[in-house]
Amino acid sequence: MRSLQTYTSGVILALVLAAFVSCTPGSCIEETNAFLKASFYLNQTGIPRPPDSLTLYGLGMDTSKIYNKAVKVQPALLPLNADTLSCSFVIRIEGISDTIRFWYSTYPHLVSLECGYTFYHMLADSLAFSNNIIDTIIIRKSTITTLNEENIRIFY
Amino acid sequence: MRKTFVSFISVLIIAVNTPLRAQEQPPDSVVIPLKIRAGIEVTGPVIYLTDRNNFTAEGYLAFDLNEKTAIFAGGGYSNYKYSQYNYDYLNKGLFFKAGVDLNLLKPEISMGRYWAGIGLRYGVSVYTSETPTFWHKNYWGTVTSSITSSTRIGHYLEISPGVRIEFLKNFSMGWSVSLKKLIYSGTGKDLRPIFFPGYGSGGNQFSTGISYFLVLNIPYKKIKIEIKKEVPEETEETTETQTSVTR
Repeated sequence: MRSLQTYTSGVILALVLAAFVSCTPGSCIEETNAFLKASFYLNQTGIPRPPDSLTLYGLGMDTSKIYNKAVKVQPALLPLNADTLSCSFVIRIEGISDTIRFWYSTYPHLVSLECGYTFYHMLADSLAFSNNIIDTIIIRKSTITTLNEENIRIFY
Repeated sequence: MRKTFVSFISVLIIAVNTPLRAQEQPPDSVVIPLKIRAGIEVTGPVIYLTDRNNFTAEGYLAFDLNEKTAIFAGGGYSNYKYSQYNYDYLNKGLFFKAGVDLNLLKPEISMGRYWAGIGLRYGVSVYTSETPTFWHKNYWGTVTSSITSSTRIGHYLEISPGVRIEFLKNFSMGWSVSLKKLIYSGTGKDLRPIFFPGYGSGGNQFSTGISYFLVLNIPYKKIKIEIKKEVPEETEETTETQTSVTR
């Protein structure tokens, strides 16, 4: 009986402390952008290999580059436009340029009280790309979230 | 008033020391009044005076089944508004709770006036939530959007240990800490409610809180409880001593 009462008192004390902690306002520390995560693979061997030089920007946004001759980027993070149903990127691998176009749907997602909302996307089954250096693109996971999950594989 | 305050704070100490005090002069029996209790939560309206964006009114009825157990039914209304640099949020609705209150104090200590125990409850909330505006900024620019108003039903379980003391005849005050476990927020995983009535943040699997209650007690029956006298246990040390004497 004594141990039960001691235990109960301990539980009450712990809950009081927990309640005070839970009332402490927090700040946004979570990822708030849902990027399309693209991994690079060598077409000849099929093994993962980031490019020695990667330049990436949205079509028509060449003054605002996402990557500019970046070295060994794996995976590349592509932000989709939540205001449109598709968007295109110019991707330059080892100095050779290609264009990729994605189609997708967009829906809101609550990150947290502190961070507010972001947009998640669902890739359509097909995408379009030129074949200057890119050989194949495979969709691995069509749901684009803030989680660290590979969405597409680019073979070059 | 000071005496009341000291008594109120001391209830936990009473609970811990129950066996020691009970051994001093254990009565043969005690008469416990069983009561119907009607309580109102006072912090919600007080918080509203300082924060006009968050109003909660809550009350309950409890019915003593015996000196240890009471059945509990409660409910309330909540109107919650939240706004920060990238979104606005509105939520209002009703919540209902049902369960039991278990008094852990011995009858000769509680005497129908003191309560220190745990409440176990199931809660359900019917609420309407809306995000009139939110903004999201990324590489392509800033997108402004909204989530239209919708009505949902959420469920949760609650454990609420606490204390209560009768400071005037038939009037009690007390507090309880609540630990809530979300069962279902009423939405999918993408649009969990930032807040829902009776529970708190729908984005968390657990929620905690503190409530202070003023309670009206209505006695409806008296019961006589026989007090079981505890027989002191013989220690091993005593047994060994007796054994050595026998030798």
